[in-house]
Amino acid sequence: MDADAVAAHEIQKAYGDTTALDGVNLAVDAGEAFALVGPNGAGKTTLVRCLTGTVDPDGGDAALFGERPGDVDPQRLGLLPQSFSPAARLSARELVAHYAGLYDDARDPDAVLDEVGLAPEHREQSYESLSGGQQRRACVAATLVNDPDLLFLDEPTSSVDPAGRRALHDALESLVAAGTTLVLTTHDMAEAERLADRVGFLSGGRLVAVGTPASLVAEYAGGPSLLVETEAERDSLAGFDAERTTDGLRLRGVDRGDVADVVRALDEADVAFDALEWSEPGLEDAYLALTGEKR
Amino acid sequence: MSRLARVSAEARAAGTAFLRRRTAVFFTFFFPVLIIAVFAGLIRTDAGGGLFARPTAYYLPGYLGVVVLFTPLSRLSSTVARHREGNRFEKLATTPLTSAEWLLAHVLVTAGLVTAACAVLTVVLLALADFTLSPYLLPFVVLGAVLFGGVGAVIGRIADSQDGAISMSNGLALPLLFLSETFVSPDLFPAWFRPFTVVSPLTHFARGVRSATYSGGDPLPALALLAALTVVWFALGAALLPTTD
Repeated sequence: MDADAVAAHEIQKAYGDTTALDGVNLAVDAGEAFALVGPNGAGKTTLVRCLTGTVDPDGGDAALFGERPGDVDPQRLGLLPQSFSPAARLSARELVAHYAGLYDDARDPDAVLDEVGLAPEHREQSYESLSGGQQRRACVAATLVNDPDLLFLDEPTSSVDPAGRRALHDALESLVAAGTTLVLTTHDMAEAERLADRVGFLSGGRLVAVGTPASLVAEYAGGPSLLVETEAERDSLAGFDAERTTDGLRLRGVDRGDVADVVRALDEADVAFDALEWSEPGLEDAYLALTGEKR
Repeated sequence: MSRLARVSAEARAAGTAFLRRRTAVFFTFFFPVLIIAVFAGLIRTDAGGGLFARPTAYYLPGYLGVVVLFTPLSRLSSTVARHREGNRFEKLATTPLTSAEWLLAHVLVTAGLVTAACAVLTVVLLALADFTLSPYLLPFVVLGAVLFGGVGAVIGRIADSQDGAISMSNGLALPLLFLSETFVSPDLFPAWFRPFTVVSPLTHFARGVRSATYSGGDPLPALALLAALTVVWFALGAALLPTTD
């Protein structure tokens, strides 16, 4: 039987008195796309570092393709660290060519830059003169240049504009479709929902839930909701599960067919409102429910 | 072949990035010229004793030592600190490039710069002083650059920022320069202090270069000692390179 691409068993890591990881168990199949989400300080980056072998866990163990992370052929791995900042005076092409030169068998830098959507006219510009999104695309290209079997991306699309994000998403989907295993961390729930076969929620150093986006939404996100943009207080709408938010009153468990009843109730209660916004629950609702945060 | 290709790729990137930092390039070559202008041009030698009482050729190890000491220390320490701040070591740790290969690439680039700057210095000093243009100068300069590159890597590992790394480098280099038999001859130190000067690798650089170019002694013992210290500091620098900040 093939080993998991990524396996973590009871990983523990502390920095001084701060527990970063508290017994994390995880298995990612070969060819799977897995997203780690969680609040800042939840332990996402530390977990990526333990999995890639750049940090030794205090307890537990990690394996990539059945081997200790440090023993895996680096040709098979790609890592984009969080807040990665390469040599500022190199051009985007030189940056990718530099990383290509570290591998026995690397892809053509221009082909990879095409893939991440960095236009040819920007490739000769120095890295420091590129926009934040262009810089991030160059960094992702430098990570893809060895055509890795297993790719770790720590917040790959932070500060990337929507067009650039779409180009990166397309590139990553193509890689996964071609069999590359992807582990990414992100704060963007839409990104996790789009790219990941499964999502893991990290909170307080523990993996509190793992599943497909649909299963996590079904289990944790609650029902649909209706946002009533009003300044009225929550007890002005009797008979509804209402919660005050910064945007107005959010009514939980309101199906699309019940919206007319809500409007009638608002009229009867003489509550003025500017707009109504009905929404299906999403991964963000599951995230907020699991982390105890409010929308 | 593969190792050579990796070191070459890293060195090429490091050299290209350095050459595009015009201020750094300018001061790499301007600094030693400035030192010559100050010490050999402005300060008058005093035949009656005191500092700078010897012929200009006596101070050749001092002038070369300025470059061999300051350039690798500041370059490597700030480069390591910059790599740490940009999480570059974390990325490199998952590539085939090893810590020793990374350090080798960067000290080779630095050694090239130091050798070029020392060549300029030597040519200028040939016009001002009477010394032997010894072939031993090259190995002394290269070994010294690699040695202090290793020390710089250690400083970059210890310091918590680029500013801290450069401050630590200067804080170490300045006293070392004057306590290593370069500009201040050992007879000017108190007797109890003289044994401590051998702790400084720059002392052996100065003794060797002086033997080869001025006093006529055998430079090989100093060269051998410098080579041994170079191996130690290079290994220490490579071993201490971090994988994450």
